[in-house]
Amino acid sequence: MEKITFTLDGKKIEVAKGTTILEAARAEGKFIPTFCHNDDLKPFASCFICVVEVEGRNNLVPSCSTAAAEGMVVTTDSERIQRARRTCVELLLSDHEGDCLGPCMSECPAGIDIPGFIKHLAEGNDRAALELIKVNMPLPGILGRVCTRPCEEGCRRQLVEESVAVCHLKRFAADQVAASGDEFIPETAPASGKRVAVVGAGPAGLTAAYYLQILGHQCTIFDMQEKAGGMTRYGIPSYRLPRDVIESEADVVAKLGAEFRFNTKMGRDISLDQLRNDYDAVFLGLGAQVARPMRIEGEDTEGVLSGIGFLGASSRDESMPIGNRVMVVGGGNTAIDAARTALRLGAAEVSILYRRTRAEMPAWEMEIDAAEEEGVRLDILAAPVKVEKAADGSLDVTCIRMELGAPDDSGRRRPVPQEGSEHVRVVDNIISAIGQDVDPSDCEGLDLTRWQSIDADLHKCTTNMDNVFAGGDCVTGADIAVTAVAAGRRAAISIDQHLQGQAVVGDPKIYNHTMGKIDEVDKSVVEGFDKTDRLPMPELEPMERIKSFDEVETGFNEAAVREEAKRCMECGCRDAHECKLRDYATLFGADQHRFQGVKRLFERDKSQAEVVYDSHKCIQCGNCVRLTEEVLGTSSMGFTGRGISARVKPAMDRKLKDVNPEGLDRLVENCPVGALTFQDDPVATLEPCFKRPASG
Amino acid sequence: MKQWNNIDDVLDFAINEEEAAAAFYTSLAKRADHPSMREVFEGFALEEKGHKAKLQAVKAGEDVVGAKDQVLDLKVGDYLVDVEPSPDLSYQDALIVAMKKEKAAFKLYQDLAALVQDDKIKKVFLALAQEEAKHKLRFEVEYDDLLTED
Repeated sequence: MEKITFTLDGKKIEVAKGTTILEAARAEGKFIPTFCHNDDLKPFASCFICVVEVEGRNNLVPSCSTAAAEGMVVTTDSERIQRARRTCVELLLSDHEGDCLGPCMSECPAGIDIPGFIKHLAEGNDRAALELIKVNMPLPGILGRVCTRPCEEGCRRQLVEESVAVCHLKRFAADQVAASGDEFIPETAPASGKRVAVVGAGPAGLTAAYYLQILGHQCTIFDMQEKAGGMTRYGIPSYRLPRDVIESEADVVAKLGAEFRFNTKMGRDISLDQLRNDYDAVFLGLGAQVARPMRIEGEDTEGVLSGIGFLGASSRDESMPIGNRVMVVGGGNTAIDAARTALRLGAAEVSILYRRTRAEMPAWEMEIDAAEEEGVRLDILAAPVKVEKAADGSLDVTCIRMELGAPDDSGRRRPVPQEGSEHVRVVDNIISAIGQDVDPSDCEGLDLTRWQSIDADLHKCTTNMDNVFAGGDCVTGADIAVTAVAAGRRAAISIDQHLQGQAVVGDPKIYNHTMGKIDEVDKSVVEGFDKTDRLPMPELEPMERIKSFDEVETGFNEAAVREEAKRCMECGCRDAHECKLRDYATLFGADQHRFQGVKRLFERDKSQAEVVYDSHKCIQCGNCVRLTEEVLGTSSMGFTGRGISARVKPAMDRKLKDVNPEGLDRLVENCPVGALTFQDDPVATLEPCFKRPASG
Repeated sequence: MKQWNNIDDVLDFAINEEEAAAAFYTSLAKRADHPSMREVFEGFALEEKGHKAKLQAVKAGEDVVGAKDQVLDLKVGDYLVDVEPSPDLSYQDALIVAMKKEKAAFKLYQDLAALVQDDKIKKVFLALAQEEAKHKLRFEVEYDDLLTED
């Protein structure tokens, strides 16, 4: 056999004449990405992602169809090649329609495999559901009750009727496993010998410790309070989140080996410097625990309480005294929780003063409704401006009415005091809940933002101190619990990288293609799904529930869970974890929206018994067409149209059921994306255990 | 009482006021406990210097243009207690200091406009008042956004 010699990435190699550059490079262990290349088929050179540089040629050449020649000098990787490959991927993405992950999963800050765990629940596998949830989020009992459910806002089921009750289902999985007495304690890696100080036993700290323990690092969790849970315990009342749920989920962290040290406050009992010296790394999940002042006259008067102080006190002692007439100031969840707690502590008249309109209240709509059902009076467009102690011990509160002013430059109408609207109201207590800040006295030496939060990298959780990481409310300001959980997990990954002496890059970002938000999606994606109403969460009657701190939402029963879980449409791609397009988009840092154009229409052919064809995902690599022509001889797939309007379709524009079915399974296996999949394939799910990310 | 003989007198006075405001924020920046608040006050000082430069440009011949429409007054600062400037001021309190300072400047120019007889000078004072109202609104909006969180 005739041989030729050429140079590949600086190395002279000898290959048989006629060998393509791709074949030669692969034989040398070089990585060259391909879509349309298939060893069983003739070179096609349609995708151009396999391009390489050949000295003396101006253009990059496709390695799959270019034979190596005597004396040729080839480079398989360079900045120019990377750019070209990225462009190639982005061009393909511009004509690729679909979701890698279910939109619920994309919207979940913690990235829980929602379609995956719901499928387990639908099939009756509660434990498998819980284990899958805990790959990303270790507090499903807590979050299943208090999460504001960004996942449900993304749920495509809304195009049929209503979102799937994701959080109620998650709660069920947690409660079932907890009630079984056989709790899930994940396996841990061998002890690394490294020690991590976790400051704060709230959602961020518990999460960071959970994953760090799994990775083999010994955590000590410090908290200034006497029990675990952070703001979920001291900021959320027990009628929303029973304390045994917190105990049980914190207990799992302890069973993984973490040590808790309560009543220990950083900055008071222990310094950050000391922690940095005594431990290999420090994670700060301090929360935002300082009530923001109203800065009105008389704010220090006895009887004026802060929302967070009040909720914390009542969390410790649910029989604490409160006056008969209570005015809560603020429109967030803390305000709502404070108002509902005041009712349970015996207040007869509870009102919430909010200076904007109801629509602008940041509190969760369902919580506002629940407060009103229980008798809390909403007083919108009103604000207190002065507090005085009356002779009888009550508080005279001067209030003003507000109105929305003219739109400002941003188009927003802001509240403006109404002239002459000052009036006095008499109450026994004011509870101010207008926001919370981080206590900067805890953060000696750390860079802070102007809002007093820790200036940390949101993805890597790194701070200006090399072995100090931070996440959760102390970085973002007061936010929902699931974002703190997500930060705790990201921090664990970064800390693990730090402890292994690697560069801290954080959790590797994986490309996620999306069809867009709910209002951007073609309704045909829900064709074939019949209306099935979402099941309501059973709850105590309003007048019954204000008599105690018993949990208001009593939980789905098993029959309801199986039924509700079946409403999930299993959005997301069945091929998400094996898709070459997604892999290369991640590898080359591709941007879905770099090239804009007419998008493919969502077109799903489910006519065939075993195989589904999603033509909207096809990238025209032609593998299936060529396999049926060159190998199978069935010619069951073909190209229609020409140029950029060319499409791969079952031959002669038929339905998939009408073509020769022989070898269709092989087409599925050779499709580099999720255009051809098996009917029975489940939606792609994550591996059911938390592992150190590959590139971490 | 100071006599306002011509527009340059008025502008010199206003330039001095802006200079004093810039110096006030610069001194707060120097005293601030934390670098992030130092940056905040340096930013405020820079804004005051910008106002000064604008007035100097007017003095050099550029037209005095007041805001076309009445500037929105959110009256945020009107109901808040005075905050004593200190090295450990929070951002919330820094905004209160700034709002109240701009409000005082606004009121000063309005009062001066009411006192002077000369229409041209009156017009300049009113334009300056409007300018200060705009500065105040910028801080009020920032404060309003801060409180939007809850």
